Amino acid sequence: MVARVFGLKGSIMKLKQGSFLWYLYLDKLYCLLSVRNVKALVEYFHLLDVHHKKTLNDVLFYHFLHHVTDLTRNQITVVFNMLDWNTVGEIGFDQFYMLVCILLAQENHLEEQFIFRHSRPVFELLDLDGELKIGPDHLHMYNFLFNIKKQQLRDLYYNFDITGDRLLNYKEFKLFTIFSMDKYQESQKAEKEKKKEKAVLKKKLSQVNESQRESLLGIQPFESISNYNC
Amino acid sequence: MEGKPLKASAKSSSHHGSGRSSLQDIRNMWTTATLSQPKLNVQLPTVREDSELEDVSVSGKTLWSYDQKAGHDAEGGWEASDGGEDKDSFKPEEPEELELGGDSSQGSRLEEDDSKTDNEKPSSVSSLNISRHTPHRAYWVEQQSRLPLPLTELMENEALEILTEALRSYQSEIGRDHSLTKQLQRYIEGLKRRRNRRLQVLAV
Repeated sequence: MVARVFGLKGSIMKLKQGSFLWYLYLDKLYCLLSVRNVKALVEYFHLLDVHHKKTLNDVLFYHFLHHVTDLTRNQITVVFNMLDWNTVGEIGFDQFYMLVCILLAQENHLEEQFIFRHSRPVFELLDLDGELKIGPDHLHMYNFLFNIKKQQLRDLYYNFDITGDRLLNYKEFKLFTIFSMDKYQESQKAEKEKKKEKAVLKKKLSQVNESQRESLLGIQPFESISNYNC
Repeated sequence: MEGKPLKASAKSSSHHGSGRSSLQDIRNMWTTATLSQPKLNVQLPTVREDSELEDVSVSGKTLWSYDQKAGHDAEGGWEASDGGEDKDSFKPEEPEELELGGDSSQGSRLEEDDSKTDNEKPSSVSSLNISRHTPHRAYWVEQQSRLPLPLTELMENEALEILTEALRSYQSEIGRDHSLTKQLQRYIEGLKRRRNRRLQVLAV
């Protein structure tokens, strides 16, 4: 309900094609930026740091995100409040860097991997109240960033809420990330196997079609040429 | 004598200090090399190989040193300790160290090269010829640390668009006469001038 009120339900975020962030990439295993990417990002941040405070205020942050993604105003506000963990009203490079990694993880469909690899920082981001526990509302509120599906959310609280308080502490959340990572890897394997099978089937089909065509025509190639000459 | 500043700077770059000091060392090498006649056997192929491998080696070191540096668990990455450290632990401090990792490997290669050059007799004529036809090692190292021009252009253009929109917000929300609005306006004009200058240079 909270998510609906804030207009946060909806499609997954997309990066604008051809934007600077679009050219960056995350390492698929560790979900990290390379040193070169970080260097470029530092320069980019420096360009946006108009007031030379090594931070972006809410207006600059809003226009940056609005320019490079398709997030709505409410979503951008939510993201800003999430990242402004010191409540200073400005975003420093650390937070900017983390945001870029989250955006790239989503863009490259590495959300499970990212949450698994960086479960602690993600948990702390979601723990808005600082109670070291997160509720279903928190996760649902950031669904557009982390792409945790409804079914996954239900599983999460049904299977991993060991303490039974309808909230997840860090260890329970960590278990969830391990579980969803296993599931993700299994689904990747299954997809690969399916693709292989399809490729093999296609080959077989094309071979069968070839042989069928030849048998239907019932003529050898040199015979047809001689008939034409006559 | 001439090799000593190179050795000293190479040694200092091999020690893990700040990223900035290693870059300054490289730049010092560049300037001292032009002042004195360089007795550098700049093996361009090896430099190129190093630069090609740099991505691999640095990225490999990235992963390794992220694990090592932060003392993380086996999953790697930016795992903070379970002691409930605050979010400030999520800091990309490692990249500076990683660049040093790359630089230190180059520094060690430089030391090897220097030891080779010490054994060979210096010949100013041959070294001059070398310096004419082969780019200086420090030049290549410097080039590796710069962003490619197309990327810089893309970044600047995008930043200009974002900041132009931000300026409109500033003007509507806090007024045209506010100091922040004026600062942003001046900044945008500066960016535009820089971009125009670069375009003129490219056109020439």
